[in-house]
Amino acid sequence: MSNAIELRQVRKTFGKNVAVNDVDLVVPEGAIYGFIGPNGSGKTTTLRMILRIFQPDSGEVVVLGQATGKTADDRLGYLPEERGLYKRMKVFELLTYYARLKGFYDCRGEIDSWLERLGASDWANKKIDALSKGMAQKVQFISAVVAKPELVILDEPFSGLDPVNMESLRDAILHLRQLGTTIIFSTHDMDMAEKLCDGVFMIFQGNKVLDGTMDEIQADYASNRIRVALSSADNTLPELHGVLETLPKGRYYDLVLADTSQAQSVLHQLTSQREIQHFEIVKPSLHDIFVSIARPEEVLAASKEEALA
Amino acid sequence: MKKILTIAFREYKAMVGTKTFLLSIIMMPVLMGGGLVALQLLNNVGEIKERDILIADATGQIYPVLEQAAEARNAMIDKQFGEDGKPRDGESDFGGGPSFNKAEKFYLTAFGGEMTEEKRLEFSDKIRSQELYGFLEIPREAIEQDSTSAASANIRARFFSQDSGLSPARGWLQSVISEAVKNQRLVEAEIDVQLVAKASQPVRITGVGLVERASDGSISEAEEKDELTAIFLPMGVMMLMFMVIFMASQPMLESVLEEKSQRIAEVLLGSANPFQLMCGKLLGSVAGSVTIFAIYAVGLYFVADQRGYLSSFPFEILPWFVLFQILGVLFYASIFLAVGASVTQLKEAQSLLLPVWMLLMSPLFVWIFIVQDPTGSVATWFSLFPPATPTTMMLRLATGQTIPIWQPILGALLTSLATLSIVVLAGRIFRVGILWQGKTPKLSEIIKWGLSG
Repeated sequence: MSNAIELRQVRKTFGKNVAVNDVDLVVPEGAIYGFIGPNGSGKTTTLRMILRIFQPDSGEVVVLGQATGKTADDRLGYLPEERGLYKRMKVFELLTYYARLKGFYDCRGEIDSWLERLGASDWANKKIDALSKGMAQKVQFISAVVAKPELVILDEPFSGLDPVNMESLRDAILHLRQLGTTIIFSTHDMDMAEKLCDGVFMIFQGNKVLDGTMDEIQADYASNRIRVALSSADNTLPELHGVLETLPKGRYYDLVLADTSQAQSVLHQLTSQREIQHFEIVKPSLHDIFVSIARPEEVLAASKEEALA
Repeated sequence: MKKILTIAFREYKAMVGTKTFLLSIIMMPVLMGGGLVALQLLNNVGEIKERDILIADATGQIYPVLEQAAEARNAMIDKQFGEDGKPRDGESDFGGGPSFNKAEKFYLTAFGGEMTEEKRLEFSDKIRSQELYGFLEIPREAIEQDSTSAASANIRARFFSQDSGLSPARGWLQSVISEAVKNQRLVEAEIDVQLVAKASQPVRITGVGLVERASDGSISEAEEKDELTAIFLPMGVMMLMFMVIFMASQPMLESVLEEKSQRIAEVLLGSANPFQLMCGKLLGSVAGSVTIFAIYAVGLYFVADQRGYLSSFPFEILPWFVLFQILGVLFYASIFLAVGASVTQLKEAQSLLLPVWMLLMSPLFVWIFIVQDPTGSVATWFSLFPPATPTTMMLRLATGQTIPIWQPILGALLTSLATLSIVVLAGRIFRVGILWQGKTPKLSEIIKWGLSG
C-alpha cells in the first residue's frame, strides 16, 4: 500500500517563529489519521502545507505521490476550522460552487446524496446565514467531500456539534473510509481521536511528539498505574511494597507504582494475602498522554511567548 | 481556465443578484442628478411668494411705471399658475430673468417722505421683522445724471433686503426701471421709441456642428448645438463611466473581506491558486460592469430617443467607452482587491481607501475646465494620467471636438500598462494578505508584499 502523505524534514517559519520544526510524517492510503496538539502548536500550518496553501521553507511534502506543485490539487478536500462558507449563498448553490472549483461539474447527484446522508436535504435552498452552527458545520463537511477527493483534510470537524450530530459526522467519516478515502482530521476531542483513528500524530510547539497507532503510543507511555478489586469478604488493602500511592475508586483501588516493572511483584504480594477479583494494568488514555506532554504550565508559557513575539 | 470562469460566475452573481445592486442602479443617478432634479421639483411645487416692497422714489416719475409693471406681472403669474401655485401645462416660460423667480408676486408701496439714516434703519428693522421684504431707494440724480460722467457712478438706486445680492426682485426692478428711463430719455431727445427698438434688434448666432459627407455622397445638414451637447452630454458620459467603475469595483472589497473573515479564502486556495482566484474575481467584476453599462445605456437610449436628443449623441465614442470602462474597472477593482486582502475589517480599510477615492474622484473636481477647453493642455495631460484617463478621456471625446486620435490611443496604452502593473502588484498583495490574520499590516508592509515577487 502506498502512502497518501509523506512529510520529510518539513520546516516552516513565520518571521522568528518556528511553526513547524523538521517534522517527518507518513500517512498510509486509506487511513484515518488524527492530528492533535494544543492551540498554536503548528497543526493548521502543517495541514496548510499539505494543501499547498503554504510552501515549506525546507523539506519535502509529498501528497498523493506528488512531491512539488504550487497549484492546488483537485484530489484534496478541505474543511477549515469553523466558517468557510459564504453567508449569503444558498446551501445547494454553495456546494455546487465548491464542487466545480474542484473540477467536478456533474455534481447534483453527489450533493443530493450527501445532504440526504446527513439529514440535511431540507436545507438545500436555505441561505447559509439561516443555518444553526451544527447545520453549517455539516454543510461545510459536505463541501469538503462533495468532489469525491482521495484525501480529505478536516480541521476541527467536531467542534460545536451536539452528540447526535457528532455521531452522524463520525458515521460519515467511516463511510468515506469504506470508499477508500484517506482522512486526516485535527481535533481537541481525545476520546474521538482514540476511537476513530488508525494513527495519531501530535505536534507540540512545532515538534512532533507522538506518531503511531494507539497501541504503539500506549506501549510507549506504559502506565505506572494498576487497578485492583478485592473480594468483598476482606476489602482492606494490605501493606504493599513498591506502591507510592493508593487511590480508592469505588470498589476499585488505583495503585500508583514507583516503577512499571513492579506490577508483577505487587500482584504476587496481593495474591498471597487476599482474594483478588480484578487486576488490570491501566493503559494511559490519549487524554492522559496529551496532558502529560503538554502540561498546563508549559502550554501557558508557550502562549505567553507567542504573545510577546 | 474553467476554474477562473467558475469563480467569475459566482462573483458576477454575487454582485448582480442582490437587492443592493438593484437599489444602487436606481439610486446612483438619483443621487448624482439629485441636485438638479430637486431644484426642478422645488421650482414646480413652490408656492407663490408675495413680496412687499417699499419704493422711495425721489424722482417722482418712476413709481407709477413700476406699479403698473408689478400689477401686470402679478396678473400674469395668476394666469400661469393655478390657485394651488403649480404651473399649468405648456405655459412655464416667462421670458427674461432667472427661472427661479417665476413664483414671486411683487406688491409695491410708495414712500413719499425724506429718506434719512433714521428712516433707513426703521425700514431695515421692518425687513428684519418680516413686515417688509425690501425697499428701493431711487435718488433724484439717478435718472438726471449723464451716465457717462465719472461722478454718476456713485449715484445709484439702492435695493435693501435680506437677500439683496441674489434677490430676483432686484433684477426685475432694475430691468423695468432701465427700460422706463431709457424710453423717457428717448422721448426727451425726440427719438422714436419704436425705431430704437427696431434698430436694437440683436443678431442671434446659432451654434452648429460641423457638416460631414454622408455615405450617399450628399453633405449632411449642420445640427444645432446647445448647452445640452456642449456640457451636459460630456458630463453625463463621464458620470456614467464613474458610476460603472465605482459600482463594479467597489464590491470586490467586500467580497475579499468576507472571504478573509469567514475563512473562505483557505477553501478557495485549496482549490485554486491565488492567480486564478484574482483573475476570476476581476473577470466577474468586468462582467458586472458591462451589465451596469448595458442597463444604463438602454435606459438612456430610450430617454434620449423620446426627447429627440438621439441625433446629437456621438455614437462613434462607444467603442472607446467600452475599452476605457474595462481598463478602469480592472484598475480600480485590483486596488480594491488588494485593500480588501490587506485588512481584516471594513473599518480599517477606510484610511487605505482615501487615496484611492481621491484618484477616482479627481476628474469630478476639474471636469468643468476640461469641458470648456477639451483640447487645452490641462485637459490633455489630465486625460493621459492613467487613474483619470477612463473618465477624463471620455469627457473630452464626448465634447465632439477634434481630439487627436493619438491621444485616446496613448491614453489606452498608458492605462493598460498601469492596469497591468496594478494587477500584478495587487495580485502579490492579495496572495499574502488573503491568509493574513491578526493585526492589520502597516502600509509599508503591504507595499513590501507588492514589490517582492
